[in-house]
Amino acid sequence: MVPRIDRAVMTRSKTSAIDHAGRWLLFGLLIVYTLYNLGPIFWLIISSLKSRMDLFAMPPKLIFTPDFSGYQSVFGVGAAAGTASAVGVFDSLVNSVIVSVTGTALAVFLGTLAGYVCSRFNFLGKGDFMFFVLSTRMLPPVAVLVFYHLMFARLGLADTRTGLILVAIFANVGLATWIMKGFFDGVPKEVEQIAIVNGYTRMYAFTKLVLPMVKGGIAATAGFCFIFAWNEFAFASILTTTQAKTLPVKISAASGATGIEWTQICAAGVVLIVPVLIFFYLIRKHLLMGMTFGVLGRR
Amino acid sequence: MTAAATTHETRQAELKKRSSGRLMIFGFLSPTLAILLFMVAYPFFSLVYYSFFNFSALRPEAGMKPIGFKNYAFLLSDPELWDRFVFTGKFVFLCVALQMLIGIFVGYQLQKNFRGRDLVFTLLMMPMMLSPVVVGFLWRYMFNSEWGVINFLVSSAGFPKIDWLGQTNAALWAAVIADTWMWTPFIILLATAAFRGIPETIYESAEVDGASAAYTFFRITLPMSAPVLFIALILRLIDSFKQYDLFFALTGGGPGSSTMTVSFAVAKTAFSYFYTGEASALAVILLLIIIGLSMILVRHLGKMGEKY
Repeated sequence: MVPRIDRAVMTRSKTSAIDHAGRWLLFGLLIVYTLYNLGPIFWLIISSLKSRMDLFAMPPKLIFTPDFSGYQSVFGVGAAAGTASAVGVFDSLVNSVIVSVTGTALAVFLGTLAGYVCSRFNFLGKGDFMFFVLSTRMLPPVAVLVFYHLMFARLGLADTRTGLILVAIFANVGLATWIMKGFFDGVPKEVEQIAIVNGYTRMYAFTKLVLPMVKGGIAATAGFCFIFAWNEFAFASILTTTQAKTLPVKISAASGATGIEWTQICAAGVVLIVPVLIFFYLIRKHLLMGMTFGVLGRR
Repeated sequence: MTAAATTHETRQAELKKRSSGRLMIFGFLSPTLAILLFMVAYPFFSLVYYSFFNFSALRPEAGMKPIGFKNYAFLLSDPELWDRFVFTGKFVFLCVALQMLIGIFVGYQLQKNFRGRDLVFTLLMMPMMLSPVVVGFLWRYMFNSEWGVINFLVSSAGFPKIDWLGQTNAALWAAVIADTWMWTPFIILLATAAFRGIPETIYESAEVDGASAAYTFFRITLPMSAPVLFIALILRLIDSFKQYDLFFALTGGGPGSSTMTVSFAVAKTAFSYFYTGEASALAVILLLIIIGLSMILVRHLGKMGEKY
């Protein structure tokens, strides 16, 4: 990567010394940021492979014999599976998968429908609806949790996956609606108009013509919802007690008799990031578009 | 076919179209609206209701004693609550300022095409993909004053070790560093998207006019991407305002209660002390502030949308 200040500067034939110094300064700052950004990730991976002794070694060790007990306890296999601190960690991983996948699917489904209507129709109170939907994203979880705590106990939803799926839908459907509206705004209205003139129903035009055109958008929306649902902590920590604990909640309590289980936390962190990383890489092109809520699409 | 019949037919078709449209609006919106009303509006009004009672979820049999505005009066006269707000304010300001600054800078560099751009981009997004609790624990591990890697680097560079999580000011900075680490990638993502959306022709004409790099950046790039950057600002402002997970894992609100955000205080009042009535009142105050803040910001965004 060659440091470049600007497109305008690049094309100038004479580059002054100041410009040159400026470029290297920019390049240096980028390197510093990259170290700040990737250093802790590197440390997370390294620490997930360290044994207890190596974890607390001073100066910190960079070369050591890898120890897989953290991963073994997360996946419930091997010697670490039976230890007290590893009990139920694998179950919580299963809970995490079920809750976030189901919650994401339903939130994206509902958000796609709502986003389509908000993009295509004018109806009474549309502005208020859109603001209300966005405002749900702004609610501090702890504020509504005070009430959920009571409500879930009364409805028998406390400590169940169903309860957490419900929370995952509610927490993400607003975001899904907004992002999907942005993608639908990018599809010309003529698509449906032509279909209707040709005798097809609007529903047919929506499912057979418009939806395939926003496939990438749906993937991007699902990606975002999945990141939030997969990593969600506040709701899950208060609304679950034993059965339905998700992985983030489980590892927050990963402190055995010997203190906090750093290796296990780091291993769980690595396990948690892998699906998101793969997903993100696959949908990266659409993510850039989706996150601008269609503001750019209007231009 | 007579002209009258044609108009009649088109009218019928028009009516049919409109009613099917209405059916679609209703059918497509009602599930979302239902779940949001159930999960947001219902809790909100219940919270307001509870906030007027002396009530504990731990002892429902003790009943609910209506006490009017006493919960609010108590909270608003409590100097500790003001400390929470001041701390939250400092945290939000530092985080948002740093993240916007770094995010716009890095995003501006990343908009250019270079080999391996997608890979670099995805790798840089990693902090954002981690669970906030994991982020909190990871930084707590690295900030440890005895065997943490950060103090190792600090002392290797010849500076005295810092008691990161044991001192009020250092703990604030520790939280800011961790939050900035996690969320700057989000700003980078949005900023890059916004910058790449600016048509190349505008830059070309600026070049022809002999505009300087700084002029191009401040007069073209920034104003043209303002709406998106503003959305990023709103989302970060609100998210850092309600930050809970990070403090839970990183500082636990300590040392003492010096890194206690308002969100954290709500959680503690509700689920450690089980003062449900008081917690509801505090939650209502927090909600009103956030709703007010976001209404102002969204209105401003609407104006910006019209301008560009």
